[in-house]
Amino acid sequence: MNLVRRLSLYLLAAWVALTLNFILPRAMPGDPAQALYARFQGRLDPEALGALRLTLGISDAPMFEQYMSYLGQLARGELGTSLVYFPAPVGEVIGVGLGWTLFLAGGALIVAFALGSGLGAWAAWRRGGWTDTLLPPLLSFLGAFPYFWLAMAAAWFFGVQLGWFPVRHAYGPEVTPGWNLDFAASAVRHALLPGATMVVASLGGWMLTMRNTMVGVLGDEPVRFGLARGLSPRRLFVDYALRLALLPSLTSFGMALGFVLSGALLTEMVFGYPGQGMLLLQAVRGQDYPLLQGLFLTITLAVLGANAVVDVLVVALDPRARS
Amino acid sequence: MIGLLALLACADPPRPPEPGVLTVLQEQQSAWVRNFNPLLSTGGARWPAAAGIYEPLAIYNRMRGEWVPWLATQWSWEVPAQVLRLELRSGVEWSDGAAFTAEDVVYTFELLAAQPALDAAGLWAFIEVVEQVGPREVRVRFQRPYSPGFALVAGQPIVPRHVWSQVADPVAFANPDPVGTGPFTEVRRFDPQVWELGRNERWWGGAPAVEVLRFPAVGSNDQALLALVQGEVDWAGSFVPAVERTYASHDPEHRRWWFPAVSDTVFLYPQTTRKGLDDPRVRRALSLAVDRERLVKVALHDYATPAGPTALSDGYASWRRADLGGVGEGWVRHDPAAAAALLDEAGYSLGEDGRRRGPDGTPLELPLIGPAGWSDWVRAAQVIGRDLDALGVRAPVQGLDFPTWFDRVSRGDFALTLGWSVSGPTPYPFYRALMGTGTVRPVGEPAPVNWHRYGDARADALLAEWEATDDPQEQRRLSDALQGLFVEEAPAIPLFPTPSWGEADTSRFTGFPDPADPYAVLSPNAVPDALLVLTRLRPRDGAAAARR
Repeated sequence: MNLVRRLSLYLLAAWVALTLNFILPRAMPGDPAQALYARFQGRLDPEALGALRLTLGISDAPMFEQYMSYLGQLARGELGTSLVYFPAPVGEVIGVGLGWTLFLAGGALIVAFALGSGLGAWAAWRRGGWTDTLLPPLLSFLGAFPYFWLAMAAAWFFGVQLGWFPVRHAYGPEVTPGWNLDFAASAVRHALLPGATMVVASLGGWMLTMRNTMVGVLGDEPVRFGLARGLSPRRLFVDYALRLALLPSLTSFGMALGFVLSGALLTEMVFGYPGQGMLLLQAVRGQDYPLLQGLFLTITLAVLGANAVVDVLVVALDPRARS
Repeated sequence: MIGLLALLACADPPRPPEPGVLTVLQEQQSAWVRNFNPLLSTGGARWPAAAGIYEPLAIYNRMRGEWVPWLATQWSWEVPAQVLRLELRSGVEWSDGAAFTAEDVVYTFELLAAQPALDAAGLWAFIEVVEQVGPREVRVRFQRPYSPGFALVAGQPIVPRHVWSQVADPVAFANPDPVGTGPFTEVRRFDPQVWELGRNERWWGGAPAVEVLRFPAVGSNDQALLALVQGEVDWAGSFVPAVERTYASHDPEHRRWWFPAVSDTVFLYPQTTRKGLDDPRVRRALSLAVDRERLVKVALHDYATPAGPTALSDGYASWRRADLGGVGEGWVRHDPAAAAALLDEAGYSLGEDGRRRGPDGTPLELPLIGPAGWSDWVRAAQVIGRDLDALGVRAPVQGLDFPTWFDRVSRGDFALTLGWSVSGPTPYPFYRALMGTGTVRPVGEPAPVNWHRYGDARADALLAEWEATDDPQEQRRLSDALQGLFVEEAPAIPLFPTPSWGEADTSRFTGFPDPADPYAVLSPNAVPDALLVLTRLRPRDGAAAARR
């Protein structure tokens, strides 16, 4: 029963999101042909506007009809043809960005979550130690910088001045994408600097959350009772305290995971990384409805999916949630 | 884990490109999509599609102001301005070895007739029929005398009949493996981040000296700037702030930039159907109030020069009338006193609050809109706003996001806006969009050009005469008259010609155009002019050793 209720809630949320997804791009002024024409700034003959409308097949059909055909296409898994990248299908365009975003933003999130939570737990365990006194203010300080500035500074200093890292692209021009070591090495080298800036910017949040929960959990009666009964501190820390303290962080981790697919827009802009964020930017600029819809669809489904997974995980970790 | 990552990261330092590989930065794309359809008007095809893989019949060289024969070697009018006969180059082969003939040319034009979506230049609005006369001769018959049609016919990229006639839907055709006549036709590699185009050994001018064009994907201006500064690019067409210091100074011996003012002119457009702005005296007063010297200094880092009275950029240098004055003269000089006198004369006198009011007492207020993200234009708008304010005309500057701005501009829903203009080989399309009644749309209906909604019957007569004559002397007389009319009526206020951005790093390649050898514009953004440059470049000897 519970499951059915939850599932229908997810379905309702999905429908609302898909409908908004349809309405929002169409509420923008002008139409895609006009937007494309304007991009050429007079280098295109005025007559081309008519040709553009014909090419893009801009529909004058009533909104309801367009809506029904939109839902029908989605049901068949068709996302339409991108306008900016005409005539490439939206699925193909998104496919390119999706992989890189998952790799960079997903990787950075996992590293930040694992490292931040670990440091936070350690800081709570060794309260008053250097991890507890020095790191939180330092990380909060770094996290408080405007991210754009932080990324630019990192790109300039480590990339341009010191030349330690490449400052654009997901891999170098000299390697061929595929399952080979050269490519993997190049991809990792290119992800290190942008990934590091993302980790640095979010580490403080994860650490503080974990530390604060942990401090609370460690002060709880069951933990003190376990200590009194002679459980080894190590066992107590890992098996009991950590498991409980992880719950709030895990929920935010799920949320963050869902939003990974929206792409780290600023990171991708600064480091010229070919992910979802850059696609989103170009889709908005070119009023590329089909691409926008496709991107929002993947983001919506990812957020809903990640939430569902977190729901399941929380139940597994926390016996209290099972009833 | 971390150790493994570090090992991977160090395993492979970047290698410099091999000699003969020219790295070009022209399109801003975060990821490449494989599309080489030169007929698409969406801009979805990669840059070399229209100038590299495929070629037009002739190229207009805007630096020299002359037509360069390309796939067509000669042309003449059988009936003046109405029946055009073109002779095609002999010995041209498609990159798959098939011979290039008149059939291909006829087929290309007929394809556009059958697929209006591909007819970006609107050729079939004036063409009646295209017919083959001989194996290498084509006749293009117009519906009526229309001499400006030559430029549009000559600029059409030609596609092979034996390939395209097999394509089911040429509009949705991405043409992943192109067959062209151009100097670069072999796609050697295509990744979302970088792609390479190899030379065509069969090219009719002999295999080009540049072996490969490489295109790294660069998604933003900042990224483009970084790539330029780091010396990863041989040829680019980017706007670079403080170019001498940020770019050239790192390698003064090799790094070149050249921003000639041959592109379109940027205007301050008054919506001329509005009360007040319908009076040429008011429009001229606004022009006299603007300090263009300061404007180009503040807004364009001094890269641009102010526009002259005829608004014709250096791309039309041979057409410009000298007697109408030069930069800083006539109605484009900075003269606040004359501006004030003109407004007084038009009935907008200065009130005690320092605001100018019309005869009915309403203050003259002219909001100025522009696209918010375009920092150079925003700065220009602010300079104009202040200058007009000093005149007693409030012109609050409003930056709008691009789609909103363009929608309002094309519907005529504005008082003042900044905007670009149309360009072409002659002043005909330029003045047609500025003054021709044929381009005026009612306010509220989107218009591709003539956003200021100005039409003049005298201009129409001159434009119609132009269409009917192929005589250069006659066209010059008409151009002179149009310039005179423009200066007299002041339908739009010219500000500055957009510089044609071009940067070249000559450490690996030589032969780029520069002010000393201005055989073409340096900017790769000029299409199909880029063909002139691509086929002239030579790798430097020992380039690989000199690099880094």
